[in-house]
Amino acid sequence: MERFLLKNIDSPDSAGIGEYLRTGGYASLKKAFGMEPADIIAEVKAAGLRGRGGAGFPTGMKWDFASRDPKFPKYLICNADEGEPGTFKDRPILEKNPHLLIEGMVISAYALKSERGYIYLRGEYPHARAVLDKAIAEAYEAGFLGGDVAGSGFRFDLSVHQGAGAYICGEETALIDSIEGRRGQPRIKPPFPVNVGAWGKPTVVNNVETLANIPLIVSMGAGRYSEIGNPECPGPKLFSVSCCVERPGVYELPMGIPLREIIYEHAGGVRGGRELKAVIPGGISTPVLTPDVLDCPMDFVNLPKRGSMLGSGAVMVFDDTVCLVRVCWRAMRFFEHESCGKCTPCREGTGWMRNILERMEGGFGRDGDIELLQDIARSIMGKTFCPLGDGAAGVVLGFLRNFSDEFMYHITNKKCLAESG
Amino acid sequence: MIELTINGRKLQARKGMTILDVARENNIYIPHLCWDRRLKPYGGCRLCLVEVEGQRKLMASCSSPAENGMVVHTDTPALRKARKTVLELLLVHHPLDCPICDKAGECSLQDLAYKYGPSQSRFYGERKHDPEATSPLIDRNPNRCILCGRCVRVCWEHQGVGAINLIGRGFKTKVSPAFEETLDCEFCGQCIDACPVGALGAKPYKYRARAWFLESRDSICPYCAVGCTLTLDVREGRILRVRGVDGKGVNRGDLCGKGRFGFDFIYGDSRLTSPLIRTDGELKEVSWEEALHYVAGRLKAIKEEHGPDAIGAIGSPRTTLEDNYMLARFMREAVGTDNLDTSARLGYAWVLKGVEETYGIRLNPVRLDSPVGKDAVLVIESDITSTHPIFGLKFLEAKLNGSRLLVVEPRKTKLARHASAWLRIRPGTSTAFLNGLVRYALAGGVHLKKEITTEGLEELQESVKDYTPQRVSEMTGIAEDDFTEAAREFITAESRLLAMTVSAAENQKGIETVRAAANLLMLLGEGPEALQIPADYSNTYGAWLMGVRPLGKGRDLYGMLYSPGAVRALYVMGEDPLVTMPDADRIEEALKGLDLLIVQDIRMSETAKLADVILPAASWAEKEGTFMNAEGLPQPVPKVVAATGDSIADWMILRNLARLMGHDLGSMDLETLQDEISGLPPETGTQRWRFAPSDWRLKEGPDAEYPVVLVTGNIMQHSGALSVMSKSLSHVLSDAFVQISPEDAAKFGVEDGGFIRIVSRRDSVFIKARVSDEIPEGMLFVPVHFAHARVNALTFASPDGTAHLTAVRLEPKA
Repeated sequence: MERFLLKNIDSPDSAGIGEYLRTGGYASLKKAFGMEPADIIAEVKAAGLRGRGGAGFPTGMKWDFASRDPKFPKYLICNADEGEPGTFKDRPILEKNPHLLIEGMVISAYALKSERGYIYLRGEYPHARAVLDKAIAEAYEAGFLGGDVAGSGFRFDLSVHQGAGAYICGEETALIDSIEGRRGQPRIKPPFPVNVGAWGKPTVVNNVETLANIPLIVSMGAGRYSEIGNPECPGPKLFSVSCCVERPGVYELPMGIPLREIIYEHAGGVRGGRELKAVIPGGISTPVLTPDVLDCPMDFVNLPKRGSMLGSGAVMVFDDTVCLVRVCWRAMRFFEHESCGKCTPCREGTGWMRNILERMEGGFGRDGDIELLQDIARSIMGKTFCPLGDGAAGVVLGFLRNFSDEFMYHITNKKCLAESG
Repeated sequence: MIELTINGRKLQARKGMTILDVARENNIYIPHLCWDRRLKPYGGCRLCLVEVEGQRKLMASCSSPAENGMVVHTDTPALRKARKTVLELLLVHHPLDCPICDKAGECSLQDLAYKYGPSQSRFYGERKHDPEATSPLIDRNPNRCILCGRCVRVCWEHQGVGAINLIGRGFKTKVSPAFEETLDCEFCGQCIDACPVGALGAKPYKYRARAWFLESRDSICPYCAVGCTLTLDVREGRILRVRGVDGKGVNRGDLCGKGRFGFDFIYGDSRLTSPLIRTDGELKEVSWEEALHYVAGRLKAIKEEHGPDAIGAIGSPRTTLEDNYMLARFMREAVGTDNLDTSARLGYAWVLKGVEETYGIRLNPVRLDSPVGKDAVLVIESDITSTHPIFGLKFLEAKLNGSRLLVVEPRKTKLARHASAWLRIRPGTSTAFLNGLVRYALAGGVHLKKEITTEGLEELQESVKDYTPQRVSEMTGIAEDDFTEAAREFITAESRLLAMTVSAAENQKGIETVRAAANLLMLLGEGPEALQIPADYSNTYGAWLMGVRPLGKGRDLYGMLYSPGAVRALYVMGEDPLVTMPDADRIEEALKGLDLLIVQDIRMSETAKLADVILPAASWAEKEGTFMNAEGLPQPVPKVVAATGDSIADWMILRNLARLMGHDLGSMDLETLQDEISGLPPETGTQRWRFAPSDWRLKEGPDAEYPVVLVTGNIMQHSGALSVMSKSLSHVLSDAFVQISPEDAAKFGVEDGGFIRIVSRRDSVFIKARVSDEIPEGMLFVPVHFAHARVNALTFASPDGTAHLTAVRLEPKA
């Protein structure tokens, strides 16, 4: 398929403004300035763009809420805190095509009447930081940022705010806390950031990939854009494929492409031709699935029907050599480490789930541990302050739903099913 | 109006209420650990989850707004299970050291664990083993902490301090000061009351008693004029701790460090236990009979020889209404003189005089919640969060609720730090600032809403004509733009308030400041309720009302203490003029020149050391009585513990003495006394507005010889000369110091912690210096509390009520 978001990234100068302009960059921006802000929002709505960060909230609707709020100033924040295991889909945009993001942000800011934007960048992306800083400087130089963007009289300032290495700061309210200089912890919603966000002002937080889609919608028009992929949630989608495949990497494919195609056609199939055992379709916080979902279209609509979520589109593939107890334990180590500590079930519960998984993995599992795990996970699910706890609980429940035999094997035989087979 | 159903009951709610608010209002129980009435919802503990029909998830009732048509269930099997799991998780690594935890018996975690049944102990985990962190008054035991965050939030959101925060992440999160240093804060102890478990405790109470052995009595704080309700916890006749109880009293449960920790002044080492008479230069213990016969005899003799007006008395802003009333009757009836006054003469009296001159009323009680909801709140050279801490909190609350807080203040006080605009004014020049505002308003810089009908407009116009923004800027050191910006904000606000404090302990404001403030407010059409100047101590207001002041031609404080030889005998009740009043040398001269000095006090004060007779009085918690706070609210003070030694209540001493003087004031007991007091005619006067031109000049400005100005005042942890008796408060701060700006420190060669000599036109003192960026160049700030520093030897009294700002010079390493 034609690449839109990662167009031209094979060129060694793809991150430079010269190359970007040469391939038609910033043309959408000029087109956008010929439109009314409200029309851009209507266009984004009509295009059916859904947020690419994981939740899939309709972007046009979010913008609409923010633009209806009479308070000023408004802030636009790009969420580039890409920190979930398995997820690295924003990285090529940030490192190879930063001007697409900047162009998307300027158009979005114009639509939202925001004069100030931030890119909240993951602390562990030092290279992206350097690229973004350079690209922003270039954009200022070329007049695409600053007091008079492209001669339109519109003002927009943009800077990068780098996080300090906390997964929770990818949650939009914690991200806002962090930008404000506080300890990053999620805030109570409502009020939502679109009404009360950064410094109490209306704030739109969008994912990198979401914002990178905006120039596309403007240049193609909603009609043509919505022809890409699944009409229910159209557009190109970046899939970061990892673990046991021949060609791990980021693939730009139409939304709704079957999982089988991603793994076997694009990623080169399971490593060494081995048998596929399990797939996590959308990053570590989405429930694991069995190979019988291979024909499920990868989008926001169809995956929930199969008991998982599209999430960030991070496909993690496990073959028959992988111990899933170990995967689950490693995932839980991540959640325990990243739980912010604000609410009890997540702070204490992730630690206990890790503890139990650890003893299972180590061969010290006890009878009843599976039930105990399920009980804690259910006590977390839906009862925590933010979705981090739900994610952690969902992982455990997903593994136990589909692979409880492996866990049982671990308890009774004190070793791995995969390694002994 | 919102209508919703909780547990089958149809209930009504107002907009903005959460489900928990509605439940609480209707006495429906929902457990919670991280919720606090004063704080923004946090939603951390997850105990307050409820089921809302039609909602997929359980909802945290503390942070979910009540909505029309909601059907809520607060106690279902699913909820019980969820809550039990939360408690189980909290208890896994809780140390369970309840047998030696001071919180046992009043611990929310203990109570909830009891309510929701025993944990199944499905987890066995390591307990935390963090070391206990201690500080002068607050003990922190991080192992017991359940990370509800209430202490952190009460410290920042409510107190505006932010001394502690959560550090670390997830399971390893803990509450700590920055960089895990020792806690160094204002020691209000609000975090202790906020803590639902035993992670925070009052150090003086540690291992003192089990909660269930304590007997609780409510009383009124003896320190400032806010009149907070203290809950005293007593065991075996001794007060062991003080708590604030949520919702109780004018403070609604808030307390400052003085109120919480300062109660132990009654156990101070300097308490008097028996009457003392000076014979051959030595104070000797005597019986009450002997002491009172001696006093009565001497007073009668002086009266016969020199007339009753050779005798004077000083009452106390810290003893009860009953004590002061009895002193007034004793002096007027048994002695027959009007020579009677209190320390209010040096402060609050000027407020009342100013208010009477302008608004025509005789009293102007404050309203403690007055700042909340005003568009603009202007604070004039006053550290209200130190002098009246709980009133001060209302200014922070107002700011938080959207008021513009304009703080005109040279020091970087807490209010200055939280101000919407902080105008760093040159000390003692706020009268010029206010006159400048008056001129700005009159000059048509802004549109005045009402026609001005108040008398004296022409004189006012004439008196402020020189206070142009440029001149005001020169006088006050505030940039012209900042001045006009603040002026416009205050004058055009929809509703406004002007607050300050005027007290014997402070020397940068005077009657002109009050006049100027009242002129400004009258010009803007604001009544006296917009002028909030609280009385200073627990019963300053009451003592004034009881007539402890000259009502006729009697001598006032200036006439008695600052006019050596004017009286021959002085009866000093519950006051220590040598420490609390300016110009100590002059006072000492006056006291030493007396034929008879009678000091009736709870302790051996500096003044008592010069006395001929000392009469031991029962202290605040040792007698029954009434305090009247700055709102004019009389509040009963019960007797909670037995009197120290032979001390008895002040009013009893005076009643007994009157009998010996041959003037029986009636067979008085407390009840008849209180009846008499409540029968006193009200003193209000009617409003009759009149502008009172205010002149600003410094009596003693800085000059070449004395280039720095010295400002005196109260600090957060102390109050007048009383709090230094408290061991707890002295633990935080017991030494005198002077704060000096880094610029002046460099200029005069002063080192932080080094001693310097401060010389004024009257005397000099030797004192420790603290270099602080809270202080602007050209100013020194010195707390008045510490007798050993004798800083009030530098200052002077100003009988015309003008600010008695003192010019000094510095001699480092003298």
